[in-house]
Amino acid sequence: MLNMTKLIQNEWLKQTKKKSFWVSAILMALIGVGATVITSMFSDASAGIGVDSAVSYLSGMMTASGMGQFATILSVVGTAGIVAQEYAHGTIKFLLIRSRGRGEILTSKYIAALLYTLAMTLVAALSMYIAGGFAFGFGGTGAQWLDALQAGAYGFVYSLVYVTLTFAIGTLTRSTGVAIGGGLTGTMFGGIIIFKDFYKYVLFPNADLAVYNQIGPPLPGMTIGFSLIVLAVYMALFLVAGYTVFRRRDVA
Amino acid sequence: MTLKQTNPPVLKLSGVTKRIGKKTIVDGLSFEVRGGEIVGLLGPNGAGKTTAMRMMTGLIRMSEGDVTVAGSSIRDRFKEAIAQVGGIIENPEFYPYMSGFDNLKQAARMTDSVTDQRIAEVIGLLGLEEAQGKKVKTYSLGMRQRLGIAQALLDRPKLLILDEPNNGLDPAGIREMRDYLKQIAHSEGIAILVSSHLLSEIEQMCSRVVVIQNGRLVTERKLGGREAGAADLPELRIRVDKPEEARRAIEALERVKLERVSEAESEVTCLAADADMAALIDALRLAGVTVYRIAETRKSLEDEFLQWTGGNQIA
Repeated sequence: MLNMTKLIQNEWLKQTKKKSFWVSAILMALIGVGATVITSMFSDASAGIGVDSAVSYLSGMMTASGMGQFATILSVVGTAGIVAQEYAHGTIKFLLIRSRGRGEILTSKYIAALLYTLAMTLVAALSMYIAGGFAFGFGGTGAQWLDALQAGAYGFVYSLVYVTLTFAIGTLTRSTGVAIGGGLTGTMFGGIIIFKDFYKYVLFPNADLAVYNQIGPPLPGMTIGFSLIVLAVYMALFLVAGYTVFRRRDVA
Repeated sequence: MTLKQTNPPVLKLSGVTKRIGKKTIVDGLSFEVRGGEIVGLLGPNGAGKTTAMRMMTGLIRMSEGDVTVAGSSIRDRFKEAIAQVGGIIENPEFYPYMSGFDNLKQAARMTDSVTDQRIAEVIGLLGLEEAQGKKVKTYSLGMRQRLGIAQALLDRPKLLILDEPNNGLDPAGIREMRDYLKQIAHSEGIAILVSSHLLSEIEQMCSRVVVIQNGRLVTERKLGGREAGAADLPELRIRVDKPEEARRAIEALERVKLERVSEAESEVTCLAADADMAALIDALRLAGVTVYRIAETRKSLEDEFLQWTGGNQIA
């Protein structure tokens, strides 16, 4: 357990000691504040928006159709290189000739990717909460907090799906570029619905759980439980593929 | 020397083989390295040196055979085996955007026992005090090489595997590295396996060489010592005033073998055992030949290497 903690610490430092991490975090905060400023400017004109506090604002904005999309993109870009860059720098050898299993090393990297995604989600939430507080007031009812939390969780799950996809592609191809391309292309498929029954078993229409509260199931027969199972199966597949290859691969 | 005979092998390769598709890159390689020994792994380009070193460190899988480090198999007990190994495979690679110290910390977090005190000790050993706070991307290749040795030594390994440790070092750096490796092999009893293209360097540093070609062991040879057998008699170049007379005198000697006579340089070359030196000198004196100089012509490692490997290109 201590070993794993230290491995995760290593991975976290590799992320945060890079300038690009802070550029992403600041960009996320700026987008959060910017979006809030624009929303508040137009909310006077369209009073029907129903936002009366920063918290209710958050519950509308944290999902994949709002700021969750940006958090996902930044997380995909930020974590694509987490395995691939080790190969590019040659540091994979540095990493693998230690008294740690390859499985442990990949696990620490996946956890670091999750932490990165969580960090981006929190930066988005925090920047919009503070900006939203000035725009709409800081108060919020308990029910609103629950809604906001749920929206944040849905946004996070959405990010997680594509970050996992990106992580697997990066592990399999050892290419940061291909991993970013794969992850971002995936997010674009989310908006496309093919009205055939098989499509409900595809990853993309299931990724955004918030639709069940907002506009209803993307395809008939889909429920939030169904989507969660589909997502879990896909993510398990991605990870199994990544682990199998990473553990067995000859490092030239 | 007697100590080395009794030291148990730290590194042991038995029948190590790597096949990729139909190609056999390393073929049934077996040899040992004992504690306190520096062994050179030599071979022409593409001989399989780096592939062999990658198998020893578990970076690539063996098709057949096994490698044990201090008794633990790299195949079956990887973690125990690799915990005894410090290595640089090809170039020492680091995270360029982190400082030297942070890179060592990264390595230390992947061990069970390395403390900050040990990191400081290793930094001191390799003279990295000034450089440790700077980002690795600003390091020269020589500095990176030293940092590589530092990370390899962190966890007090029993075995160092160094692929081309002199890459990018200047002559002073090479000498420093050589002295340092000799010192740690001697004082801490670490077994060291190095590969290098600089044969003269191997010659000065190693007590033994293992030569491989096309993935197979060609020869295993002690350096500095001499093997028994006529072919290994020392070759002597004798400068004299009358080479023709000298020739006749030497030819009359039964146990001394004349190699050639050079009138132009006024020299005769012959093979003679140490025990026959007195007889040789007496014979020359009695023949009225004045001897100006006797020198042993030693074959350099390079000559021998080319002989072993059939003159393939080295570099």
